[in-house]
This record gives sequence, structure tokens and C-alpha cells, in this order.
Amino acid sequence: MNKKLLLGVFTCGALAGILLSTKAFAQVEGELSPEEEIRLVQEFNRMLAEGINPGEVWYEVGKEAIKKYNLDKCDLGLGPGVFKGAAAQLPRYFADAGKVMDLETRVGWCLQKYAGMTQEQVLKFVRQCWGKSGNCVSEYDGIIMYLTMESNGHKIKVNLKDPKVKKMYDMGKKVYYARLGSWDFNCATCHAGQKEVRIRATRLWSADRPGEAGNAVSIFPKYLVRWGMPMSMHYRYAECIRQMRWPEFIPHSDLGVALSTYLYGLANGTEIKAPGIGR
Amino acid sequence: MKRLLIFAVISGALIGVVEAQQKKAKTEKESVKEEEVLKVLKDGLSQDPRFAWKIQQDEAQRICSQYSSREEMPAQAIQRVIQLSQSEIRYPQWGIYMGDWKEGKKLVDSPRGGRFASYGFSDKPTDKGGNCYACHLIEKGMPGGTMGPNLYQYGKRWDITKENMNTPEGIEKIKAVYNIIYNSWSAFPCSSMPRFGYHGNLSPEDVANIVAYLLHPESPVNK
Ligand code: HEC
Ligand code: HEC
Repeated sequence: MNKKLLLGVFTCGALAGILLSTKAFAQVEGELSPEEEIRLVQEFNRMLAEGINPGEVWYEVGKEAIKKYNLDKCDLGLGPGVFKGAAAQLPRYFADAGKVMDLETRVGWCLQKYAGMTQEQVLKFVRQCWGKSGNCVSEYDGIIMYLTMESNGHKIKVNLKDPKVKKMYDMGKKVYYARLGSWDFNCATCHAGQKEVRIRATRLWSADRPGEAGNAVSIFPKYLVRWGMPMSMHYRYAECIRQMRWPEFIPHSDLGVALSTYLYGLANGTEIKAPGIGR
Repeated sequence: MKRLLIFAVISGALIGVVEAQQKKAKTEKESVKEEEVLKVLKDGLSQDPRFAWKIQQDEAQRICSQYSSREEMPAQAIQRVIQLSQSEIRYPQWGIYMGDWKEGKKLVDSPRGGRFASYGFSDKPTDKGGNCYACHLIEKGMPGGTMGPNLYQYGKRWDITKENMNTPEGIEKIKAVYNIIYNSWSAFPCSSMPRFGYHGNLSPEDVANIVAYLLHPESPVNK
């Protein structure tokens, strides 16, 4: 890591420190006190107004990590090491793997192939900062941030004409509506329908209202002010699935790919603007 | 009121019939089979044996998974879900009674029930709570969600008073609300509201206490 980068990380650490100074912050999503919620919203609005997005620091982390883990050989579908605009056309079918893959799953595959990691090591790498809010800097998050930001300004174009991709899209839609678990949830419980609803104070996006799926996914990875770190799409799935009281989500599984194919398919035409920022 | 509910369900079912007839041509070609979907779900979720049972879809969940809203459900499907749901409601050992609203309030307030992940959060699989505020506004001035209806003054809506709450008529009302919370699908098939009692998230006594919290004239809900 270079000095500038460290400084960046430090600054955003200090920022998060201020945010969290009064109380050890509640780690569980939706368990903040109303006062903390208000403070976070204010802090978040300030960052938005001043155009600060600490998530951008992870771009640099990712740039270094890509060299370190030989990912410049990784082919995201446009050729080895060709990353400009590559994230925008994912998920897609990869003949070398014989599977449809989304960005994160493909990166996991490349880590096995070019960095010599086992599947288990990859999963550990992916989850190194999960549940550890408060300035945890993960190289994996960096890699995903870097690769996504290389597609900033590009429009999402998932090729639904490819029957293998279309099948994964249909699978994702089925998964989206599958009622499961001891609380009977499906994704549609919270993210479907025309009526706008809130869960506690949070307004929920809906796959049925035009443009909302696009707005939701095109800003990932999204920097979360309350955690002081970015959240990748698979981490988002894991958190929603935790709220759904399903057993724990396994990143890079076909479940993740199916959800991505459905959501990014719905988002076709939306411009990628990473990182997003949220409280 | 109970009649009203039944009426609502039946008229809902009738609307369902009409809509199903209007939509009868909508036989979408299915490119993925149900078994494939269940396999993807199973393989994408932790195999921790403590939670393996959560991955088994029951019949009612299977029916509900096929429709994106209740309006789309044919009458037959609605009836089947109601029938399955009503048939498994269990009551406290001594029958229906007005529980302890203070105990009920704790369960209503707690967001922690049933949530668990091994990656660092503090929820335990044994935590118990209904997280009702996620979806409902309940006590005056408390922030809550809007996915479900506002429950403020719910007891007044059912016209529960100190005088009538232990009469047979009062007990009937308590039972109707008990059924909704024990198994929401018995009154609102495929609702987003979880079937708390059915899955054992809440015991019959827990449900009775929550009902008291919603209905008792002394509960802050009805102040
Ligand atoms: C119990 C409610 C609930 C369920 C069920 C649920 N989510 Fe979420 N979801 C949320 C909440 C709350 C947020 C946070 C929104 C925010 O921070 O603005 C969220 C955010 C998201 C986001 C990011 C939106 C953004 O702008 O940050 C995506 C994508 C998403 N969910 C996908 C899913 C998928 C896929 C499923 C099913 C596997 C699912 N959700 C199930 C509650 C839920
Ligand atoms: C995930 C969302 C969700 C949660 C959590 C939830 N509910 Fe509900 N609830 C609903 C919805 C939606 C309805 C409306 C029924 C329908 O049409 O499906 C409802 C309806 C009700 C009703 C009937 C209201 C009426 O008009 O008569 C009661 C009572 C109720 N809920 C109580 C509770 C209690 C108590 C809890 C917690 C133990 C709870 N709910 C948790 C979503 C939820």
C-alpha cells in the first residue's frame, strides 16, 4: 500500500471514528436507536453534499491486489485483463468454466485459477470483513470495487438472448419468489409490488416499479457510512438472507449468480455508478 | 368481527376466481423446473444441520411461491392455504385466555428472533422475538414499518373493554386475533406476515401474551 492510500484509509477511518464515537455502534442492521439513525442520516447527507465517498479508497486497494493475485490474467468476458466496461456485461456464460457467472463468482474462479487459492480460501477471502464493521479493509472488496468502477459510465447489458443466461434469469426470478424458511420470506416480500413500503425507517425498492432494480444494483459496491466499508452485492444478498431467517448465504453459489442474473437483467440499460453511498 | 374476517376472506376468494378466469390464457412456458430451483436454493445456503429444516418447503409455501400476489391466486389455492393453516393452529394448554401484555410487549419489540449468521453478528439462533415494528406502526410515536396495517388502538378496533374481555364474546375476539398471529395465513393466505406459531418461533403462550399487548385496555397500544 502506498502512503497516499494509507492516508486515505486513515482519513476515512477517522471519519468513521467520529461517526461512531458516542457509543459502540449497534452491529445489527436495523438495531440503531432513533438518535443514532438521525445522526447517521445527517452525516450521510453531509458526505453526499460534499461529494465525499470514502468507498473510492477501495479502488486503489483493488488495483494493488489485482497485481498481487495475478488477476491481470482474469478474463471477465472481453479478454484477459480487459476490464473497461467488462463488469457491465455480466453475468454471462463462460465456456472455460461451463457456467453462467456474475462478477464476484468470476473473480472467485480467477482467484482459484491464477492465485492458486482453494475454494475454501476464496470464501474466507471474500468474507474477511463480513460482520466486522468499523474500518475493515478487504482486498476482495477492493478488487470488486476496482473492477466495477472500471465500468462506471457504461450501461448494464446482460445478454438475455443467450439461452444459458436466460435460463439463469428465469431461475433467479423463481428464486426471488420462493417462500422459504421459518419466517416464510421471499425476496418479493420486501422488494416487489407497486405500493411503496418501509421496513422500520427504511424505504424498500421494488422489482416491479420501473427503474428501481437498476437504481439498486448499479451503485454496488455501496459504501455504508455506519460500517465504514463498502458492501459488495454478495454481501448484500447475505444480509438480506440473514434478515429473511434463511440459513446463511454461501457467496459465489449459483444462488448468488441466479439472483444477479435476474436483478442485473432487470437493470439492463442503467448506467453503472460505483461506489454508491448509504447510511 | 370474526364474521367480517371470514367474509373478507371469502370475498377475497371470489375476486380471485374472477381474476383467475380473466387470466386463464396466461400459461407461461416454464424453462426451469421446481426441483432445479430447490437445488439451487439448497446449494446456496449453509448446510449447518441446525438449520437444514428451514430449506424444506412445506405445501403452503410451495403454493404461495407460485403467485406474485394474492390477487393472482385462484380460489382453490387460496382455500388450500387457509385449510392447511387453520388445521395446524395450536392453543395454550388451558385454552384461549387474555395473556400478560407486558410479556407480549417484549416479544413485539425484539428484532432478534430467528436471525443468525456465523460471520460476526451477535444474534443467536435461540433469540426470540416477533420484530413486529419492522412492518407495523403500533404504539403512538414509535417508528415502525408500513408493510402491514397500523395496529395503534387495535383493541379499540375490536371493541375490547375491561367489562367484555372475559365474556364468551370477548374470548371469541381474542381467539380470532390469536389465530392471525399464530398463523397469519389462516386469515390472510400467503401474507408477508410470518406464521410465527406454526414454525415454533413463538409458543402458544407467547402468542397469547402478544394478543394481550394488542388488545388489553391497559396496554399502551390502546392508550
Ligand atoms: C425482510 C425484508 C427484506 C427481504 C426479504 C429482502 N431484503 Fe433486500 N433489502 C432490505 C433492506 C432493509 C435493504 C436496505 C435498503 C437500504 O439500505 O436502503 C435491502 C437492500 C437490498 C439491495 C440493495 C439496495 C440498495 O440500494 O442498497 C438489494 C440488491 C437487495 N436488497 C436484494 C434482495 C434480494 C435479492 C433478496 C432476496 C434474496 C432480498 N433483498 C430480500 C430488506 C429485505
Ligand atoms: C414481514 C412483515 C410483517 C411482520 C414481521 C409482522 N406482520 Fe403483522 N401483518 C403484515 C401484513 C402485510 C398484514 C396484512 C395482512 C395481509 O393482507 O396479508 C399483517 C396483519 C396483521 C394483523 C391483522 C391486522 C388487521 O387488520 O386486523 C395483526 C393483528 C398483526 N399483523 C400483528 C402482528 C404482530 C403482533 C407481529 C409480530 C409478532 C406482526 N404482525 C409481524 C406484515 C407483518
